[in-house]
Amino acid sequence: MSTTPTAGDLPEDAGHRLEELGEGLFTSDLSVNEFLLVKEAGFHPLGFVMGSSIYHTGVQLRKFSTSQELTKLTEAMYHARELAMTRMEEEADQLGADGIVGVRLDVNYYEWGSDAAEFIAMGTAVKSEDGESYRNAKGKPFTSDLSGQDFWTLMQTGHVPRGLVMGTCVYHIAHRGLGQALGSMGQNVELPNFTQALYEARELAMTRMQDEATELEATGIVGVRLEEKTHQWGSHTIEFLAIGTAVERTGEAVTLPRPTTIISLDN
Amino acid sequence: MSVPTPPGVPAPGSVPAADVRAELRAGMASLAAPEAPSGAAVTSDLSIDETLLLHSIGWVPVDLVNGVSVYAVPGGVWVWSQGEIAPATEAHQRAVGAAVARLRRECEHVGGAGVVGVEVTIEVHPHHVDVELVGTAVRPAVAPPAGRRGHRGPLPEVFVSDLSARDFVLLHGAGWAPLGLAYGTSFVNVPRRSASTALQQRTQNVELANFTNALYSARESGMERMQETALHLGATGVVAVHVAEGPLSFARHAVQFSAWGTAVTLVADAHQRIAPEVVLSLDDRDIAFAAQSLRGR
Repeated sequence: MSTTPTAGDLPEDAGHRLEELGEGLFTSDLSVNEFLLVKEAGFHPLGFVMGSSIYHTGVQLRKFSTSQELTKLTEAMYHARELAMTRMEEEADQLGADGIVGVRLDVNYYEWGSDAAEFIAMGTAVKSEDGESYRNAKGKPFTSDLSGQDFWTLMQTGHVPRGLVMGTCVYHIAHRGLGQALGSMGQNVELPNFTQALYEARELAMTRMQDEATELEATGIVGVRLEEKTHQWGSHTIEFLAIGTAVERTGEAVTLPRPTTIISLDN
Repeated sequence: MSVPTPPGVPAPGSVPAADVRAELRAGMASLAAPEAPSGAAVTSDLSIDETLLLHSIGWVPVDLVNGVSVYAVPGGVWVWSQGEIAPATEAHQRAVGAAVARLRRECEHVGGAGVVGVEVTIEVHPHHVDVELVGTAVRPAVAPPAGRRGHRGPLPEVFVSDLSARDFVLLHGAGWAPLGLAYGTSFVNVPRRSASTALQQRTQNVELANFTNALYSARESGMERMQETALHLGATGVVAVHVAEGPLSFARHAVQFSAWGTAVTLVADAHQRIAPEVVLSLDDRDIAFAAQSLRGR
């Protein structure tokens, strides 16, 4: 994408807090369970890192009866999320982290006027305790939306996270004409234009996500979620967001013990 | 029909306004009085499981304790100007500080070594900040040998933690101990956007730098204050950090950022591995089929 944010555009104030973190204090939004499991996986939390951007989404005209991708809106969603993610990665980089776990990517709408939203990414920067580098193919700290529990389990199966990958597509689904609506009244019938539009939008989002994973030289994507949101665009304009963690098999043996099966007797 | 009033408690409506203050003062005085109760019944908001877990590491609940503070915010601080709204920030910081101090004092008063499961309720109103902390005071079951002030092992004084009793037990097992509540907040004014800029940006994909910077500024100061309180407690980490951020409902030109979490430190010689066992539950989840779900979003 041509809209990739430039490095080093971290707002000035961000520096101070991170300097303090270098002096033996860590902060983390991990729960105690997650904290202990991240430690168990051989990582130590360094700091709670965040990135955000308040972004104004532009306007694009939609044709009432045409299904189409709204490229301007897609670009906006990409750009704003990347701004947030990149700023978070920069903070982690400054801390000398190997990666960021438990990343949450949210969009918040406040009453600041229409079309303005806060895109925010936050997570806990971690560093491996054995001194080995876990940075990804781009030399950046890996990002992952896996919880501490998932992170530990993944590491036990000989995989390492490589990066949070996502694909998005804002799609306008055509309204049906009066003739079509009348024609299908009272019948059991598939609505091909809707089906096709939804298919295409999802495909676009998934493909873009996979492309990002390929760039990271990942061998798979786990924990993929497909979210559909209309944000503030009305019912026929939908954002399809595919998001997951790209992982790479490091070839090491699986150390996950065979699970004990249990049946709990409480109800 | 009148409900009999227990001795010592004034019937509702019968207390003149002046007496309320006297009552309050008496209440505060009794709180400060150093009379330790012995053999009193234990009140706690812990579940049975949590109580048993506490027992498993040799700790017992002592009493339900709370700390409340209502701090006034000076009038006129919410007008739209520039930079940080220092009086509001200060009121917020002091309110939390006072509530924590009271919780500590109450815990000390009942003979606890710390407070776990503290529920943190913070409300910001235009003219005051309300902070309510409620938790359960706990202590080791076997009183440690009497002696100097630092007799509770490596813990210098009463700790306050918003971690549950179960988290406390887990941390304890891994060689960590909570030290206190780390908290920080900041209120910042959002710089204005000129009308022409706003108009220009109306149809564009563009970052609103003024909002972004204001949020960053609030976040950095808030987090830094939290880190300072943690460092002050001698902590090496803050876990389970909660954040609350966004514009205020009554002053949309101002953003608030608050963060709080439990400051912890390693008390054992090294981090103890917990070596989790992997289990697979064979219980079926309740699978309910709802015809409604077929109708789409």
